[in-house]
Amino acid sequence: MTGVISGSGQWAYVVAAYALTALLTGAVLWASWRAMAKAEKRSDALRTDGRRGGAPRGDPK
Amino acid sequence: MHAYANPTRFLAIAKPLTPWLLGVGLLLVLGGAFAGLTMVPGDYKQGETARILYVHVPSAWLGMGGWTSLAVAGLVQLVWRHPLSGIAARAIAVPGMLFTALCLATGSIWGKPTWGTWWEWDGRMTSMLVLLFLYAGFIALTNGDEGQRQGGSLSRGAAIYALVGAINIPIINRSVVWWNSLHQGPSITLGGSSIDKALLWPLGLTLLGFSLLFGAIVLMRMRRIIADNRVAARLRRLADEED
Repeated sequence: MTGVISGSGQWAYVVAAYALTALLTGAVLWASWRAMAKAEKRSDALRTDGRRGGAPRGDPK
Repeated sequence: MHAYANPTRFLAIAKPLTPWLLGVGLLLVLGGAFAGLTMVPGDYKQGETARILYVHVPSAWLGMGGWTSLAVAGLVQLVWRHPLSGIAARAIAVPGMLFTALCLATGSIWGKPTWGTWWEWDGRMTSMLVLLFLYAGFIALTNGDEGQRQGGSLSRGAAIYALVGAINIPIINRSVVWWNSLHQGPSITLGGSSIDKALLWPLGLTLLGFSLLFGAIVLMRMRRIIADNRVAARLRRLADEED
């Protein structure tokens, strides 16, 4: 078949597929973790300030 | 189910579960990928490119499974108005779209050396591309809508959109049977697998590993939405007290 690649030339495609998967999955995992940690920190800080009766710290968004 | 409608009760489970899903998921994915790249032999017809199977199949499974979960969440929101279902649907959309995009990209990378082309407008690839667009539409529909301002619930329109979009899932699944396709027929069915056992076992590891990572991403995104809701509610209360 025209364009079919065999032998060691196939490894470049395998590596590209794995690298792309690792890169994109890692990026979404990292972004989700960072956003969650930031939001929970903000929420906890606001709750602590509320218990103390003080004004909330930081920008809520 | 309604016992877990309370975000506090949900968080008591989600907080300790998140690092476990993340850790075990990463270990399984790394182990499966290592085995798939180094320990199993190449396929007798396709050669080394068959190793793409270990990232392509989990991506397809999670892209389709993600929309199925999203549709179930939409149904639960419509029927029972479960407070967490809208939050879950919003949290599923981004990882679902990620794995659908990865399925298309890794499939295309697999197609070039095997079929001699990056893309073919056949039933399987086109219906998977439609799924990617459905995810994009759902994200656009739910970003900044009224539901997001009211604690993360879905609007009626978004919930119906999720349900209607689910029609595409059996179409993707049966596309290789209904239409002529460059894509191979179903390799793994309820009746068994046509993939040799020597090549199959790392797939079990990556399938489970990526599924756990998907779960971890969904939990993290749900926790973020709940934390944002709590901040917004507290600020509203403080503003009311000042008035």
